[in-house]
Amino acid sequence: MQATISAEEDLADVNRVLAGDLQAFEGIVRRWQGPLVNMAWRYCRDRGRAEELAQEAFLRAWRGLGQWRRESSFSTWLFALAANVFRSELKRFPTVTVPLEAAPEPSGPATQHNTLSRELSSGAVRRAVLALPHRYREPVVLFYFHEMDLAAAARTMRLPEGTMKARLSRARALLRRRFPQLETEHAEIEFEALTTRKEA
Amino acid sequence: MNRTKNGSDEMELGRIDHVLASEVPLMPSSGFLESVMERVREEAAAPPPIPFPWKRAIPAVLLTAGVFGWATFELVRLGLPSAGSLAAAGSIPLAMPHFSAAAAQPFEPAGWVALALGTSLLSWLLARRLAGRSGLL
Repeated sequence: MQATISAEEDLADVNRVLAGDLQAFEGIVRRWQGPLVNMAWRYCRDRGRAEELAQEAFLRAWRGLGQWRRESSFSTWLFALAANVFRSELKRFPTVTVPLEAAPEPSGPATQHNTLSRELSSGAVRRAVLALPHRYREPVVLFYFHEMDLAAAARTMRLPEGTMKARLSRARALLRRRFPQLETEHAEIEFEALTTRKEA
Repeated sequence: MNRTKNGSDEMELGRIDHVLASEVPLMPSSGFLESVMERVREEAAAPPPIPFPWKRAIPAVLLTAGVFGWATFELVRLGLPSAGSLAAAGSIPLAMPHFSAAAAQPFEPAGWVALALGTSLLSWLLARRLAGRSGLL
């Protein structure tokens, strides 16, 4: 329902902007600023840069609003355009990343069960995504940004789903190889939860 | 085993998936909307970009294409007979052109002609530019 309303509002605002009402673009920015800033954040992990990238994406969207063919949803078009902008901007001015092998190790087994340690290891995994080779990094970023909707991520990258799935699989394998203890940790957490449930 | 919802059924959900899928959403800063709209307004107020003057550029493009075409024609005309004769003798393959000293001679004046044409074009462009700046054109 929310998506339908948003789609209708997007369409109405786009028509108004194309008719010359500049102020109608504000509605589009208001609705999509959160998703675009978050998407940019996943590309660079730098808040200031993320807002700059999102701003650039909105500006390009405004310039190219007439090129949106109504066959796909406005969000699909906007995300694909934003991904293009982020990709090219980050190619021009790359973020500082470390090679995957040099990404910091998460905590050792002795401290694995405390919350702070878990937070640190989560941060390490997120940073490690940026250290993945370029062709695997973007599928990971977009797959998790789209809440693990493979089709949506593939549409944003304008890639066939099969290609997307293969790249994603390879990226996850690289991350698993880099952080094997996280899989063990996950199994332990699940085992603990199961035991607690049984005891209760 | 947990399964993802859309099209990725065989991918098991591990800790890495959990970490990457459960990020706290980032809120855009309070001035973000206004700064985007400000840039959009600035861009809307700016004059439209000047289109490339294709009409004026066409003669120059044609002239350049003509010079290159002529040079290619001359190259092939002078290169092929000598290459053909050598190939017949079995010394080099036909595809590799070979220029004798006599065949290369016509290029010498051609080079001077090209230089003269280039200099004339440059001086004409410079004169037009200067005249344009001083408001004569």
